[in-house]
Amino acid sequence: MDTEDLIGRLAAELRPVRRLPHPLRRAATWLGFALLAVAACVAWFGPRHDLMERLERPHEVAQLLFALATGVLAAVAAFELSLPDRSSRWVLLPLPAAAAWVGSLGMGCLADVARMGPQALVLGTSWGCFRFILLMGVPLALSLVWMLRHAGPIRPVPVAVLGGLAGAAISAVGLSLFHHLDAALMVLAWHGGTTLLVVVAAVFAGRAWQERASVGFTAA
Amino acid sequence: MAAAQAGDARAYDLLLRDCLPLLRAIARRRIADRHEAEDAVQDTLLTIHRMLATYDPTRPARPWIAAIAERRCVDRLRRRGRGAGREASIDDHAESLAAPPGATGEDRVAARQLREAVADLPESQRTALRLAKLEDLPLAEAAARSGLSIGALKVATHRALKTLRRRFGVED
Repeated sequence: MDTEDLIGRLAAELRPVRRLPHPLRRAATWLGFALLAVAACVAWFGPRHDLMERLERPHEVAQLLFALATGVLAAVAAFELSLPDRSSRWVLLPLPAAAAWVGSLGMGCLADVARMGPQALVLGTSWGCFRFILLMGVPLALSLVWMLRHAGPIRPVPVAVLGGLAGAAISAVGLSLFHHLDAALMVLAWHGGTTLLVVVAAVFAGRAWQERASVGFTAA
Repeated sequence: MAAAQAGDARAYDLLLRDCLPLLRAIARRRIADRHEAEDAVQDTLLTIHRMLATYDPTRPARPWIAAIAERRCVDRLRRRGRGAGREASIDDHAESLAAPPGATGEDRVAARQLREAVADLPESQRTALRLAKLEDLPLAEAAARSGLSIGALKVATHRALKTLRRRFGVED
């Protein structure tokens, strides 16, 4: 089809659109929904019995806050990146918080070793953590991507990855509030590892999304 | 742009036409092939149409439009690059491809010999062969058309086939 004809057709097909609210406001909406969903889970399972005691330890609070910050910043970055005219550097926004989260868990491992000796490095399995982050994090990530579905033709992969990170990190925060896991190494392996898994899965999902989005154009 | 979002088709038409030079410049800078670049421009227009709701009128329109155009060009190049990796020019492989049936040298020679042999037949036999065998007409019609009696037509066809068989070394 001729480009001029295409413009004529697009203009003829034009319907008034409802402008999207500001990305920060949309991010806040999603975060509210995500935190509510996670809080409901914590309430359902009941907070861990030693929660208050744990919240008095500054490094544990720091871990939680870093995980929360990773989730919040990843969500904000995803909403910004879904718009064409935003800088692609937004993708870096959650990285410092994520690094601090992993770093604080690593420090926790070292502290455990200093306190308990080599015993602290015994890695057990915690499929419960794995399942929760997957079952909570993936639907959260999907809900975020659904809100950002318009980003398909623009930056599908970064948006999907940040969505996965946001969903998994926020789930990990919730998990820490009700699941009894003492050794920092276990938290690092099962919370951090599952989050990484979700992010890697999001890379592939984002690529598939990109394929679908661009096939739509070459067919048109 | 804000008018377009509100549904003003005229403003939208004008806006898209105004962006065309920008879109074409971006596409031509990225994509060497002229047709491919024009396709990328059309992709961009479709994306703008689809993403109209994401534009924030408090921000300048040009970066928004240019970013979409860049994205569509990169996408098109990426897809084409991947396609080119899987495709090969057919000219490089002509010798290794199976020829379509009937086009090999041997078949062609045989077809030509047969045509020559038919041409060498006497006129009446050739006509009989054409009507009765090649056009597959009923005997009565073939006889009427050739001006021969049915018996004469049968004989002529029979002789024609016999001549050809002999010529190509096929025994009855």
